[in-house]
Amino acid sequence: MSGRPTILARTWSTPVILIALLALLALLAYVVGSNPFNQTIIEIFIRVVLVVGLYVFIGNSGVISFGHIGFTCLGAYMTAWLTMLPAIKKSKLKSLPDIVLNNKLDYGWGLLAATVFAAVAAYVFGKVLMRLSGIAASIATFAMLAVIIQVYSNWDSVTGAQSSVVGIPIVRVVWPYFLCAVLVVLAAYAHSISRSGLALRAARDEATAAAASGVDIPRERLIAFVISGAMMGLGGALFAHSVGVVTPDTFYLGLTFITLSMLVVGGMNSLSGAVLGVVVLSIIIQLLRWLEKGVDVGGSTIALPLGVQEIAIGVVMIVILMYRPTGLTRNKELVWPMKKLSAEGSAAAAADGKTA
Amino acid sequence: MKNYLKLGMGAALGALILAGPAAMADDEKIIVGFATAQSGFMQAYDKPAEDAARIRIDEINKAGGLLGKQIEIVAADTKTDRAEGAKAGLEVLDKGADLVVVSCDYDFGAPAALAAEGASKISFFLCAESVKAGIQGVGPNSFSGSVLAAVQGATMAEWAYTKKNARNFYRLLDSWTEYNKGICDGFDWMLPKLADAKLVGEDTFKNDDASIAAQITRIKSLPQEPDAIMLCTMMPGGVSAVKQLRAAGIKSMILNGSGMSGSYWLSATPDLSNFFVPDQGSVHGDDPNPKVNEFNAKFKEVTGGDPSSQYVYPGYVMIDVWAKAVERAGTTETAAVVAELEKMKDEPTLFGPRTFTAELHHQNKGRYLITGVDNGKPGVVDEWTISEAIPVDYLASK
Repeated sequence: MSGRPTILARTWSTPVILIALLALLALLAYVVGSNPFNQTIIEIFIRVVLVVGLYVFIGNSGVISFGHIGFTCLGAYMTAWLTMLPAIKKSKLKSLPDIVLNNKLDYGWGLLAATVFAAVAAYVFGKVLMRLSGIAASIATFAMLAVIIQVYSNWDSVTGAQSSVVGIPIVRVVWPYFLCAVLVVLAAYAHSISRSGLALRAARDEATAAAASGVDIPRERLIAFVISGAMMGLGGALFAHSVGVVTPDTFYLGLTFITLSMLVVGGMNSLSGAVLGVVVLSIIIQLLRWLEKGVDVGGSTIALPLGVQEIAIGVVMIVILMYRPTGLTRNKELVWPMKKLSAEGSAAAAADGKTA
Repeated sequence: MKNYLKLGMGAALGALILAGPAAMADDEKIIVGFATAQSGFMQAYDKPAEDAARIRIDEINKAGGLLGKQIEIVAADTKTDRAEGAKAGLEVLDKGADLVVVSCDYDFGAPAALAAEGASKISFFLCAESVKAGIQGVGPNSFSGSVLAAVQGATMAEWAYTKKNARNFYRLLDSWTEYNKGICDGFDWMLPKLADAKLVGEDTFKNDDASIAAQITRIKSLPQEPDAIMLCTMMPGGVSAVKQLRAAGIKSMILNGSGMSGSYWLSATPDLSNFFVPDQGSVHGDDPNPKVNEFNAKFKEVTGGDPSSQYVYPGYVMIDVWAKAVERAGTTETAAVVAELEKMKDEPTLFGPRTFTAELHHQNKGRYLITGVDNGKPGVVDEWTISEAIPVDYLASK
């Protein structure tokens, strides 16, 4: 191995490029200074957290999970419980433990608790689910989502069942969201170049060979599942603080599919794909919304009929996947300088465990 | 990668352009911001009430405006999505809204209302009927244009007891929404106050249950058919429930909340009789107040259709009371307008009196028309105001 640069030396530019992209967005929000635009950027950062969370498990293990939004729900409610005013909790969420009921924490603690709580839940579920492979694992994760949502939709005295939980402190500044997105990107990168991450990708591409080489597949999957579960929990908590309202139905099929589509469109097996998928799709969605509102062209307003955005985004995704079935990034990572890709036998793809 | 970078740059530039400069509040006009659903399923609820609100704004503008200024409307679509709702709220606030009008439903209106509350602006729910759509769920500057769901349940119970001599009540709750539960909460509060009225049974179902045969069997096995069934439900499942009750031969009077008002669904139950709903005003052209019928005509002229249900009216009421408060305060400044609104006691409007207090920005008492359906034909049969307001503590504890 001597003479060959370490994996860190070959791939460090990926997180740097991605963080620079996120920083550019944060800067844009700062420069524009309009509240709704600010909120749009916040939403992009939250989605980055969620989709990178999905990538850590789905991208590295190759097992599609339909259940991760369940952890988002767990995280959102956890921060709600901890950060709301005691008076509101006492009237609506009576059966919470007294210590939670009588105290109020800052949202930073809420985010931390949400992350830890989701990680613990992911460990418990993962211990069982990670023994499954392929479609059985996907269906089982979906069942997990259904279980979590059903419990949260009906546990009246703790989650308020289907009614909205309101009174969560709203954070409308961009930097906490930016910081979380950066942390998540760094953590996902660190995991992907770690021994465990590499072993997991080896298992994704050649399960039998990997197992024969001593990779404990359920264990490596569980590690990725817990890390990604934690990120999803953090994303949920951020969502709760960005809107100020949580309900169980927010965290169900709609959010599951939009985040999965962003991952697939970006390129399922690469971290760059996860981030780019969110950024590109979010920008297209914003452009379509803008067109729906109407654009002045030479004195006359041209507007798309309302609701076209939802249809158009579907069409755009089909077109992208037709021409780039492996996503916008072709499952490769963004690296610097570019020529390394060809010169050194596709350094990025190597770091990624060679797919595409 | 160059391509990605280009893509990223282009997109970022695009976003920069479309964000545009934030408009500042203008001293020459008063701005009402609608952060309501222009698409998605809530649009069906928001649009009619919003149309009515726009009619009232138009009337005020034609009569010389408010405080001598014209009212201008800005709007943003919530897309029936909570996260978009928060954005829509911020957007109309950025455009200088003095009043933020939010979705009919508490769940979908709350994010925009919270955005308004954060900016210390007044928010009005178009027609939410949960006690949370106000101080209890949003904050001290939030109001609703409608009447609490609980008042509907209480109204029907007291009216049926007094005017129809109903004594044996059956309570059938569709546990789908907070609204439905609210109707039954009001019924529960009123019933013990009615001497020798009793609850002979109760049951629940879910709006999307294909069959309520089990619930019907339980009603049929009562020793005696109840005088009245308090049916706390709404569209779309409510129609099927009513149809099944009647098909099973249950002839009891059926009492409902306003969620079952309107005539658009009656073709599904052609021979329906002995069926009563509370309405803030009549959409059937027979309102005792001729001005309501005039309004209906105007609504048809502007929108091209008759009001489909009574949920059109709260939109009109909302602008009406807000404009009065602004006129009295002499300013659109939040604290002053809220103070004026809170002084309103039985303030007359086209659709019944309105009262706001420092504890409740909603109606815990209210005049209702009782619309009866006879042989599939709806018509106003009576008018009723509950004898006593429902206590705020009771409402908040639910």
